[in-house]
Amino acid sequence: MPDRKQNLPQLYRFCFLMLGDSRKAQEVFHATLREAAVRAAHGELPSEPFWLFRHARWRCLEESETDLQAEPLQIEAHEITPEAPLQIEQLEPAQLAIWISGAPEPQRTALALFYLNEFDYREILDLADLKLSELSRLLLTGRRQFQAWLNTMVPQISKI
Amino acid sequence: MKTQRLSRARRSLLSCAPISEQRIRDRSMRAALSCSRDSNEFANQQSFDRAMAALVDAIPIPPETTEWFADKEFVPASRWTWKKMVRNPAVLAVGIALLVIAGVFVFNFLNHLNDFPGSAMARKLLMVASSTRPVLLDPVNADAGTLGDLFFMKHGLEHYEVPPEFADFRTIGCRVFEDEESRRIAQIWLAEKRMQLFLFPAERDIKTSAVLRFAGWRYIQQEGWTGAVSEHNGVCFMAALRGRKEDLNQYVSEAKE
Repeated sequence: MPDRKQNLPQLYRFCFLMLGDSRKAQEVFHATLREAAVRAAHGELPSEPFWLFRHARWRCLEESETDLQAEPLQIEAHEITPEAPLQIEQLEPAQLAIWISGAPEPQRTALALFYLNEFDYREILDLADLKLSELSRLLLTGRRQFQAWLNTMVPQISKI
Repeated sequence: MKTQRLSRARRSLLSCAPISEQRIRDRSMRAALSCSRDSNEFANQQSFDRAMAALVDAIPIPPETTEWFADKEFVPASRWTWKKMVRNPAVLAVGIALLVIAGVFVFNFLNHLNDFPGSAMARKLLMVASSTRPVLLDPVNADAGTLGDLFFMKHGLEHYEVPPEFADFRTIGCRVFEDEESRRIAQIWLAEKRMQLFLFPAERDIKTSAVLRFAGWRYIQQEGWTGAVSEHNGVCFMAALRGRKEDLNQYVSEAKE
């Protein structure tokens, strides 16, 4: 198992989930690692754990600021169904990334960090600067909204 | 138990429940999970989360990105620091234990710094002095200096003489008793400041049985009592009173002058 503080494949996936675009994700990923390499050369690597993820997150947020922003919408939310895993299996990873990257901050960060399955909830609270009640609400609504979206995208399974 | 009945804090924790069981590190999360094992709602959430995590895990890594995964270190290795070491509970516990042991050693060292032959016995007699009541003694109204003859004549105690410094004080009572090692001890109660005098055998060398002598007056203190001890002819004399060294010192000094 790779060192959790430096799990680079997961760092790339995080960027991809945050941006929903492979090219942009690579740019942020490379920029983050270049900065890390420069800092390492100067012996200035921060001692803080998961600083790569924290740094990548801020770069993703900066990157998104230049993008077109979606208008705030009242997104439908459905209760999670037992068939949801079958629906999710039919999706492409890119579809999930696009959906998560379209979520408003800080829900986007919360969902991306949570579904990386890399951090426990305390680490996510620290990385995303959230309180437990906020993270809980963001994940809860995120799941329900994604279920509603799933029901639209993959309706045939939900009707089985 | 139904999830709806759980407290708000536990519901919050359940929403953030880890996807993998091995990532459960804190007790509150474990408690929340154990309460909701049978909940369908929670089971659905867990299946949903696992499917989502599997989908995330399937995100392909572009080949140009994998070049970065070589053996570069972007996170500094955890460095050994004094601060870190001191915060380690085990080190902290050992440190405190060592401090306590060192404190006991220093305390004992300081306590025995002024030790002299017979000081252990003198300390025991200070305890006796603090617990003795006048009724335990035979009433004797005389000069303390005259009791040496009484001890010799009545109890066969040789050289149990009160030193000249205390010989002129009037006595209230006296007695002769044996300690747990069958050493015979003479105790005299004075009218002067309710002072008590003790005469007891001087300490001897274990091998040669020679008396361990010391010159002049030595002081000991214990639980508010102070004793001035001298040795003469193989017998130790101790004047004891409740008070400080200065209170006794004046008698010894005045007598010297």
